[in-house]
Amino acid sequence: MKKIAIISGKGGVGKTSLTASLVSLAQKDPEFNVITLDCDVDAPNLALILPPKSEENVLTHDTFTTKKARFLEEKCVNCKQCYDDHFCEFNALDWDESNNIPIINYLACEGCGACKVLCHENAFEINPVKSGEIISYEIDIGLPLIYGKTKLGSTTSGLLVSEVKQHATKLKEFNDANFILIDGPPGIGCPVIATVSGLDYIVAITEPTPSGLHDVKRAIEMVNQFNIPFGIVINKADLKSASQKQLNKYIEKAGFEILGKINFDLSIPEAMSYAKPVVDYAPESSASQAIKKIYNNLKLVLSTIN
Amino acid sequence: MVIVGIPTFGNKGLNDVMNNRFGRCASFTFVAIENNEIVEVRSVANDAQGAMGGAGIQAAQIIGNNGATEVIVGNLGPNASNSLNALNIKIYQAQGGSLTVKELIDLRLSGKLQVLTSSNVGAHAGMGGGMGGGRGGGMGGGRGRQF
Amino acid sequence: MLKPKIICVTGGKGGTGKTLVAVNLAIMFKNRGYKVLLIDGDVENPNTFLLLNAKLKNKKKVLYFLPKIIEDKCTKCGLCAENCETHALLYIKDSYPIPISTVCSGCKLCYKICPTNAIEPDLKVIGWTYTASAFNIDLFLGELKPAEARSAVIVNKLMENLEKVIKTEPEKYDIVILDTAPGAHCDVEELINGADLVIPVTEPTRFGKLDLLRIVELIDLLKKEHKAIVNRSSLLGYKEKFLKELEEKHIEILGDIPLDEEIVSSYCKGIPLMDERSKFDRDGAGYKSFEKIFENLLKWGDFSK
Repeated sequence: MKKIAIISGKGGVGKTSLTASLVSLAQKDPEFNVITLDCDVDAPNLALILPPKSEENVLTHDTFTTKKARFLEEKCVNCKQCYDDHFCEFNALDWDESNNIPIINYLACEGCGACKVLCHENAFEINPVKSGEIISYEIDIGLPLIYGKTKLGSTTSGLLVSEVKQHATKLKEFNDANFILIDGPPGIGCPVIATVSGLDYIVAITEPTPSGLHDVKRAIEMVNQFNIPFGIVINKADLKSASQKQLNKYIEKAGFEILGKINFDLSIPEAMSYAKPVVDYAPESSASQAIKKIYNNLKLVLSTIN
Repeated sequence: MVIVGIPTFGNKGLNDVMNNRFGRCASFTFVAIENNEIVEVRSVANDAQGAMGGAGIQAAQIIGNNGATEVIVGNLGPNASNSLNALNIKIYQAQGGSLTVKELIDLRLSGKLQVLTSSNVGAHAGMGGGMGGGRGGGMGGGRGRQF
Repeated sequence: MLKPKIICVTGGKGGTGKTLVAVNLAIMFKNRGYKVLLIDGDVENPNTFLLLNAKLKNKKKVLYFLPKIIEDKCTKCGLCAENCETHALLYIKDSYPIPISTVCSGCKLCYKICPTNAIEPDLKVIGWTYTASAFNIDLFLGELKPAEARSAVIVNKLMENLEKVIKTEPEKYDIVILDTAPGAHCDVEELINGADLVIPVTEPTRFGKLDLLRIVELIDLLKKEHKAIVNRSSLLGYKEKFLKELEEKHIEILGDIPLDEEIVSSYCKGIPLMDERSKFDRDGAGYKSFEKIFENLLKWGDFSK
């Protein structure tokens, strides 16, 4: 089984668009039994392009990976020690002067449990709260898709990503699956790290702009720390910019693998506006041809990884 | 004497089947071996089975607290593997199928099991979950207090 | 004494043009004689300095807490591990607890409750903060060390630095612009929470709309006023329909920015489109749209200096 994710560092470079087309190609490939995941749990979009075959079979599963503190007023003796002695390291504990009791800032609270342990009167408890949802369905027969969506303000994006990945192992299709394709979140922090952890290969997509170059370097630096092999896709590859040269030089000098380049092609935003993978919407377009090449290169590379 | 810990489903001892999910199994079965022979078998409930986070770490603690110096596992997330490594507990991996505790011990005694040394163990079996835990708990835990 | 007005530019979806808008709003305020601070809160991928060709200075480490067990003092009682909510201390009977950094929340509870003071802070670098100056704007930036996860720690530091400036030099800035990362997690939340006005930037696609509705939900949760900007509004001729859809969802608009070669050019050159000394076309569609947005912005809030 090969597990790969598409990341970029910079947002809006084309992760979801590319993932959707790769899934479409893998679906038609007799060599692959693919499971698709969208780990961009803050703003999941893949489901718009790869919707369920039937609304009836969409399963939603609540997650409770966030913990929050709750103040138990009946136990409080108003000693103010929690506030004065700074029990909370996350600035989630304030003092209500008029009622002489602590106030918990729900959004800032990390559920770390310090207030629960330190309060002599046990006037705080820690409870799991709903952190998000995991939604799973079939795009087509035998073609499952799972995505996570955070409950806003609960902020456990990384944990939810891990849950989405774990959920895949529970599918009936998991045992026969040999290809897991993941649409990653933007950035390089906690939810991206949770996404790439334990994977076999990373596709880093970028564009030849100053921020495209800057951000993919950082994404690569992060991936290297986890020793996962990766390849690069350059989107809008023919964009005229000074960064064009810099990007190519950077890749060449470092000896990174280029899986392919996609020239600017209006078929891509058009396909997105119809919420279709570009390889289905405009199969003869230059973008589709480029993506098919990328797909084949990817297959080749994956076959060399044990 | 060597004590081997195996994640299992219940308390069927040597006939219990290995549970592929180390941190979330219902029980652990400990087998004491002396002179290549089984001398004791004991099943212990996994109190951390329903834990929201850190199940792998707690499971490693159960292994350690029961005196095991080796485990035989299916899937292992990074938290569990890091914890077992920190405790110097040797990790053997058994591939596929539903092998019983007895069958696994036989494989171990005949040297047919692969030792796992890399901390990125999840790559070969599970989904590599357990890492990257948002703002509180797990990697990326919290904003913390800066110094 | 007036506090500076704080505006947060965000969006949820990546690549909609948050940084482009944040930088040019900052420049337009500066053009009008306001003293401006721009804070780059996208600490995973800070980009503002690229659009302004600014040199980063004043590099300072941001440290976070991990526990270190001092074996000479540790009695192996296990109290720290027992009370750790995230199980970040691995403990078996009669052995020294082992910190597991990947799940540690940094709450310092173990440090506080150890009966023999056997836990000390093991401070690790999670990233850095910088300052910069360009086109007569000051910048605060943060950078997460790649492979570290908790970007919110650095955002928190930036906001602390802002608080310090406001407290000690309240007259230094009239306007503070906060640029956020994409997404909706804790680092974005912290910046929205620290603002007076929030401007989500979107694009006229169903993806843009979906993510805009999500970020608006978060902004509403934090009880902040917001007005959106639709960037790349001329994409595929979808603009009028899109604006109508937003109206139906009761989302107020500050303005829209069409596709414009000049914008791409300014972006790649590192010269802000709206700077009074820039050589971009004053009659260009992009330029004019920014002017209109700025006028609407001035009407929205109280921006007396």
